[in-house]
Amino acid sequence: MAVRTIDVRERVMAKNDRLAAEVRHRLAEHGVAALNLVSAPGSGKTMLLERTLERLGDDLRMAVIAGDVQTQNDADRIARRTPRLVQAVVTGGACHLDARQVLTALDAIDLDDTDIVFVENVGNLVCPASWDLGEAAKVVIFSVTEGEDKPLKYPKMFQQARYAVLNKIDLLPHLSFDRDLAVRHARTVNPDLRFFFTSALTGEGLDAWLDFVRATAARPAPR
Amino acid sequence: MHELSLAMEICRIAESHVEPGQARRIVEVGVEVGDDAGVEADNLAFCLEVLLGQPPFAGARARLNRQVGDVLRVSYLEVEDGRADD
Repeated sequence: MAVRTIDVRERVMAKNDRLAAEVRHRLAEHGVAALNLVSAPGSGKTMLLERTLERLGDDLRMAVIAGDVQTQNDADRIARRTPRLVQAVVTGGACHLDARQVLTALDAIDLDDTDIVFVENVGNLVCPASWDLGEAAKVVIFSVTEGEDKPLKYPKMFQQARYAVLNKIDLLPHLSFDRDLAVRHARTVNPDLRFFFTSALTGEGLDAWLDFVRATAARPAPR
Repeated sequence: MHELSLAMEICRIAESHVEPGQARRIVEVGVEVGDDAGVEADNLAFCLEVLLGQPPFAGARARLNRQVGDVLRVSYLEVEDGRADD
């Protein structure tokens, strides 16, 4: 049989990007900022969110969309720190969140009664870099137990992020981790990356992070 | 790790470019894959082989064309048009 060629030229991410634009538009209509928190498993995303909700709960109306491959454990932990709704997204195997999941989660959030939305992505430094969720910025979190070369090993994620949080700094005295070297590696792949140095456990360094969250909530589209 | 998601989206795009019920006539799917697209090409090829081997497809080939840059798009389809050869 004869074979004909159909010209397609359609970007694979086009649909996700359309949905991300819809997320961005909906958030902008309500003057709400969104931060997409990305990291490897175990870097402290959930504890950073717990501390943020505790410390800013009286000042800001914060909503959380927590993604995990399985279990609602993180969403449950976060929900104990806020009277407000925490949306759990269980991806059932998928290694990242996509814009449709965020759009669906937003349906359950009263955006007129919200200042800022945190999206806790699936713990993974590879795949979430490729999916725009309609956030104002990606925040990449890594910890001092992970090795200074994380940014070199996962350059796309560190390039996509505008902010980096180096967490668990309370452990520095016990480790050979070179903080300046980690920052240098990160700036090699993304010279504009702004750093926060925190211990979500002890609260060390959290003030600068919390000031940033306040500023982001007050100015929803930091572009 | 996310290649299966991408492969599923590629299949959705391919299916949307033929008439309903005609996806089995697709014989080749051309995909441009940039070196900086964050995609493991061998893994994507494997996922596409699996997906294109089951309904609504009927064993279409995936042809991945490596490119410079971060492009990732479906460039063309080759489809049996149901008519006898000219």
